This record gives sequence, structure tokens and C-alpha cells, in this order.
Amino acid sequence: MALSFDARLHLGGFDYEAAFDADDEIVVLFGHSGAGKSVTLQLIAGLLRPDTGRIANDGRVFFDSASSTNLRPQDRHVGYVVQELALFPHLSVAENVMFGMDGPRSERQRRASALLERFDLGGFEDRAPRSLSGGQRQRVALARALGREVPLLLLDEPFSALDDSLRRTLRSELLRVRREFGLTVLFVTHDLREAHLLADRLAIFDQGRILQFGPREEVFRRPVSRRVAELTGVANVLPGVVVARNDEHIQVDVSGLRLHARTSEAIGVGQRVEVMIRAERINLRRVEEAMPNVVAAEIRDEHAYGAGHTLWFRPLGDGPELEVDLPSRPYEVLDVASRKRWTLELPPEDLHVVAAD
Amino acid sequence: MQLRSPRADIVALALLVGLGGIFAVYFILPFAGLGERAISDGRVWELTRSSEVRAALVLSLWTSVLATLLAIVLGTPIAYWLSRSSFPGRSIVDALIDLPIVLPPTVAGVALLTAFGTRGLVGEPLDELTGIRFTFTSTAVVMAQLLVAAPFYVRAARAGFTSVDPQLERVAYTLGASRVETFVRITLPQARAALTAGIVLCWARAMGELGATLIFAGSLEGKTRTMPLAIVDAFERTSLGLSGAVSLSIILLVVAAVVLVFFRAVTPDDRGSAWR
Repeated sequence: MALSFDARLHLGGFDYEAAFDADDEIVVLFGHSGAGKSVTLQLIAGLLRPDTGRIANDGRVFFDSASSTNLRPQDRHVGYVVQELALFPHLSVAENVMFGMDGPRSERQRRASALLERFDLGGFEDRAPRSLSGGQRQRVALARALGREVPLLLLDEPFSALDDSLRRTLRSELLRVRREFGLTVLFVTHDLREAHLLADRLAIFDQGRILQFGPREEVFRRPVSRRVAELTGVANVLPGVVVARNDEHIQVDVSGLRLHARTSEAIGVGQRVEVMIRAERINLRRVEEAMPNVVAAEIRDEHAYGAGHTLWFRPLGDGPELEVDLPSRPYEVLDVASRKRWTLELPPEDLHVVAAD
Repeated sequence: MQLRSPRADIVALALLVGLGGIFAVYFILPFAGLGERAISDGRVWELTRSSEVRAALVLSLWTSVLATLLAIVLGTPIAYWLSRSSFPGRSIVDALIDLPIVLPPTVAGVALLTAFGTRGLVGEPLDELTGIRFTFTSTAVVMAQLLVAAPFYVRAARAGFTSVDPQLERVAYTLGASRVETFVRITLPQARAALTAGIVLCWARAMGELGATLIFAGSLEGKTRTMPLAIVDAFERTSLGLSGAVSLSIILLVVAAVVLVFFRAVTPDDRGSAWR
């Protein structure tokens, strides 16, 4: 295991406690601002000191309260890139990249040039950082962080200040760089799409705690709580009560609608639960068929965005209000615009049931 | 909302030109007077070469430069610390450093006497134990200048350091640079313009110091009689008179102008210090 992290910290009114690990992969730390994502990076970089805990990378102990170990940030050899990039404005591009390198100047110059070449910035050595575009500056910051040949790269919302198309380019560049350099990358973001695109594994932060940590798909499809579901953009989180259970088959009453689902959790009859389904997982049907998990509903409101439509449904009989995402093509094929009443199907395999808090 | 009438514009323009003009004339006239005197009074040029004037100039130059160097050496760490820390009572420390700026220099002089005078808090035991006395020595001149002028440097340096993004320093640490190395390679170059401005202000204030020096160091020719004291002295003695005061003033003016031009030339403009 490359990085192992376990730390507790009291900072004024902020109470922080988190533990996770990371291998040769991208671990995305996701959450709202103030959730503790950036604090995590600062604890690893040595810019903040935990009250207790243990932080180690590739067997090198950065911090261990048990043995009173606390390496200075200078000695931890981690790459740290912040949103504002913090390029040294009075130094040239090459001098920025050389800043963390050791050895004779000519050797450092050669390595800086080689590194800049890999970031598609050959020939920019003597430029001032402020004369570069946002994307170029971003790449200089990455090159500088990698100048010390670090095994671990900490990225604190590095793309937040850039426009969408540039972010796409830089994300794929990051994936390439991670592979080429064999890095462990911790990537802080509050952008759900960015988290989804980059993460091998995902840690959901909220109020100084990790609510869930696991492989990306696991976290997105099986949030462990209502809060995680809300943070990861699950539009439909429906409170209900378990009315029947047979092995992994479970039946839940949601606002009078009986939903069939599967769960391996220890949830018994009579227990209050949350039933979750993502907005894009709900099917629209023109006719009501004799099948489980369908509800007749009419469109209460809708909103078009670039790639599709979001529809808000009100049930005609018993059942919950539901939010459905539909890409533009099926929206047109089904001719949703001219029809208000639909049968909604909630596929059992897409329902995720957790015990209510 | 009513648009401004052309008449209101004319009034505003007239006010700008009128008030601005009065202000400009008021600023130019004293220098014109000095220049006129220097040209019409033949004794002015003669007196600039007198031994008294030369002694005062040499004394003023080395004491003010030494006081400024001391302000830099002693004041830079404090200025940096104040820019980077927050602690209860910080505003009191800030106020203490700013105090000499608003304090009449004569009060500073009296305060120095009560501390370092021969019967002062520190001065008396020091005199008894070692025989060292500050009063009426060139050391006292430097001490008076330091107390009155150093706050100008510390203030400017603190503001300069505050404007340097701490994130730059933190990133430098992660790149392996020690605190001292980071300060020298990152923080100082970023704050260079502010520090230079502080140095100029501090030196100018030290060069012009009069009240505190007069009370704490006296006005002994060649020892404590700096240029400003020599100007006062010129009025009190008939030998030099106004002509002497004018020649001394012309010299100070030239020195000040040379220093100002020099620092303008070596200071990076704003483009170098601010970056987003």
C-alpha cells in the first residue's frame, strides 16, 4: 500500500478525523468546501500537524504520534499543487520547475527542459509565468511539483479556475502523467463530474469526516447513507418502511407504493429505510404493464439542459414524487413534450436500500 | 435619475483646475524661493564648502545610513513575524511600533534621555559599571534616528510581507526549501518594492531628524550637529545666517533628490510585485 493515512485534529471549532489509503491510483477526495478535503492534503504535505494519528507513504513514516515522528514538509517529498497554483512570479518557467531540484545548475536546467517537454511546454523555459495561459500555467505547476521525482502528488482543486474544455484536456493529461510517472495521486474536488471521471477510488468528505470510501462505482451506486446519496447527486432518496423480506428480496412501502428490491444488508421487516435511485435509472413507459415497481405519474415540471431533460413527476395515485433524467434522443423518440402522463419503472436492480439514520 | 448638466461639469472642472493649481503653486513656491536665494546670494556657494557644513553633511550621511541599516537588521524579523502571526495582543505590538510615528520627536528625545541618559533607567547603571555614556555622542544621534525612523521601515516591510501570498511559501516548503531559503528566494523578492519604499522613508526620516537628536544628543559641531541641527544653528549665529541655512538646505535637497532618483531606478514597478 503506497499511502496510509489516519489522523485526528481539532482546529478551532473544526473537528477532523479521517483514515484511508491509496495505491498507484487516483483517489478523489470529494465534498463541499470546509468538509476537510484540503486539510487532508495539508496534513500529508506536513503543512498542518495532526493531534494524533499516523501518516506513511511507501513505508516512509511522515507522522506518527506514537513514536513522536513528524517530518518537515521539506523532507516528505510529496508534490503539492494548489488551486491558485502559487507559481513564483519573479522566476521564469524553468526556474520554477528547477526550484525543488538538487544538483548542479546545468543538470537541473536539462532536467527542467526535459520535464517541460513532457508537458508540451518545450521552448517556454525563459517565459514569465504571468505571460502564460491558464492551462500552460497549470502544467508548469504540475511539472514543478514533479521536479523532485515525488511518488505522491497532492492536487487541491487544481482545475477549478479553468474553463470546461481546458479542464477536459488537463484531466486526460493528468491520467497520462499518472501512468507515465507511476504516481499515487490524491485529487481534491467539489465537482461531481470531475470526481466521476478521475477517481479510481473515492472518499466522500463531510464536516471533517469520511462518510464513505471505496471504488468509484461502489460509492456512486451504493451510497451508505442519505447524506452520501445527496452529496453524490442521487436525486431520489425515498423514505420507506420494510414490509416483507425473503433472503435478499425485500419489499418496501414508499408513500403507499410497494417497491421490490434486493439487499444484502441486515434490514428487517418494520424497519425504516431510505430507497435510492439515480434520476437517469428510471424508465419511462407509455403503457402500464403488469409488472412490479411501476407508478403512474404526470409531469409536474421539466427543465432542459444541453444533453437532456430533467423531469419532475407527481404520482397519480399512491407513491413518491420522482425526478427523472432523460437524454435528448429518447426524449424526442418518446415524444415526451406532447404527453403529460407516464408510467415510471424503477428497476429493482437499480434500487439501493439502506437503513434510515 | 437626472443626468449631470454640462454646467455642473464646467463647475467641477473649474474646481479641479483652481484647487489643484493653488496646491501646485503652494508646493512650487518654496523651492523657487530657495533657488532664487541660491542664485542671488553669492555667499551660499562659498558656505557649502565650509568645514562646518562639510562636517554636518558627513555626520548626517553616516548616522542616517547606519540608523537605516540597524532598522533593516533589527526590524525585518519583527516585520515578517507580525505579517505571518496572529496572537492576542498583536494590535498592542502594532501600536507600540507605530507610536514613534505619531509622537512628537521632542518627546522621543526626552524618553531616550530618561532611559539612556546619564541618570536614566539603563544609562545610570551603565555609566557606573562601565563608564559608557551615550548623551552628546554620535551614538546618541544614531539612537535618536533609529527610534524615530525605524517604525517607517517596519510598517512598510510588514505591509510588504503581508502582501506576499503565504501559499507561495508553503509550496516552497513542499519543494524542499527551508524557511530561511524560502524567505530569501521567495518572500524577499516579492516584497522588494515595499521594502525599498520603507528603506527610503526610514532613511529620509533619519536624515531629517531634529527634535529627538537635539534633546538626547545635543548640537556639538562634528559630533552631534547633523544637517538639520546645523540649519537651526545657522539662524542663531550671525556668521552663517540665512545664507548658511540656504546652502545647507540646498545640499539636503540635492542629496534627497539623488537618493529618490536612485531608488526609483532600482525598484521594480508594480508589474513585478503583483501577479494573479
